[in-house]
Amino acid sequence: MTATRAPAGTGLPAGLGEDLAAASRTLARRLAAGGTLWCASPTSPHHAQHVAVEFVHPVVVGKPALPAVALPPHDPTTVARANARPGDVLVAVGPAGCTGVLDLVRRAPAWGLTSLWIGAGERPTAGVADHVLWLPDEAAVHDGGFILIYHLLWELAHVWLEHPGLLRPDPACDGPVCITCSDEGRLAEVVEVRGASAVVRAGQGLEQADLSLVGPVAVHDLLVVHAGMAITRLDAGPQGGAS
Amino acid sequence: MTGGGNFLYPFLDAEETDGSALSADLAASAEAKATESLELRRTSIAGLAAELDRAAAAMAAAFRAGGRLFTFGNGGSATDAAGQAALFASPASGRPLPARSLVADTAVLTALANDVGVEVIFSRQLIAHARAGDIALGLSTSGGSVNVLQAFAEGRRRGLLTVGLAGYRGGAMATCPDLDHCLAVEGQSVHRTQEAQSALAHALWQRVQREFQQLEVPA
Repeated sequence: MTATRAPAGTGLPAGLGEDLAAASRTLARRLAAGGTLWCASPTSPHHAQHVAVEFVHPVVVGKPALPAVALPPHDPTTVARANARPGDVLVAVGPAGCTGVLDLVRRAPAWGLTSLWIGAGERPTAGVADHVLWLPDEAAVHDGGFILIYHLLWELAHVWLEHPGLLRPDPACDGPVCITCSDEGRLAEVVEVRGASAVVRAGQGLEQADLSLVGPVAVHDLLVVHAGMAITRLDAGPQGGAS
Repeated sequence: MTGGGNFLYPFLDAEETDGSALSADLAASAEAKATESLELRRTSIAGLAAELDRAAAAMAAAFRAGGRLFTFGNGGSATDAAGQAALFASPASGRPLPARSLVADTAVLTALANDVGVEVIFSRQLIAHARAGDIALGLSTSGGSVNVLQAFAEGRRRGLLTVGLAGYRGGAMATCPDLDHCLAVEGQSVHRTQEAQSALAHALWQRVQREFQQLEVPA
């Protein structure tokens, strides 16, 4: 039981304004290129629906309606796996320990999704999502400060969308060859096992991966693939690697 | 530049070619809007403290007598209504109380909207479910949502306690004869109003919980 309290803090915590500006630009880039926004909030489904309705039916007359969908709370991974396409965006809402969100954000790169994670309280591990929009005070979930974050995300994304010149692909990561990761292993999700190799989903689409270095795998396992070879099988996540 | 952006961001009229300049402007703008939001949330809770106390005392009395809470609203307010029902029924800490939202069942909502009209999607559900002594809690940022107002009228006819959360100083809800308690935010934007309503709804829940902390369990 908490005591009645006024909302804490002043404005935004340090750095969150900059994080919002960067995340909203990424989101606008993907939407401008035809991407869809997938919203997931397994522990409090109304937040995912609230994010989606902001984009689909804008409160400001004249703003374009944009494709955003709330994923069902009970098995967002299965629905996202079937529907999401490379270039789409995942916006997850939930605490750092939320297993449903963790399963989605770790698979997002294999499906070609950019991930944003909105939450409050203890921060998730660095790098687990592409953009993390976080309030340090867990009480913000209920004091209106939490809804404020996705309202601002929506509003700033629309400002970016009015500047198509600033939404050209990021040369560091959006080109045909990624400058920073061309020679790195890439995350892949097993779609089908074919003896000593597997068909995997690795960012932009399906590929063949040789399994001789990793041994047996199962459908939906996550692998690190480099030059056609699966070089690592990742540990099962919070919801298991296989299904 | 065209579109609504220059209404909110006059500086966008400048022709920028550098994304970092806009990034910095947007970060500053986000900060300013967050401060505005926080101010409205604080002043709303402080200004409505007495009405929050009265509404919470009446709700606690209704719960003690076996009443149940029904929440409703449209769009973002529908999601807030769902969140409010979840907060009452399954709080992280505190006493769970019988509460559910009338926005959850798409079969019922689409049947009512298609067969009768969107103005009855909440009132008809109250006809089916509610009884005297229950609580109807409706949210409307404009204060004028017809289906929310109709649900208050139906609730009043059935002897429910009616509580409204509204923006724009209450809109039609400010003078609604069917409302026992109206918590009206002064906000002039839908988003800032929803943020203040979220804070008020939580403050309301906290006060109801406090009433239950004081409840003696019969031996």
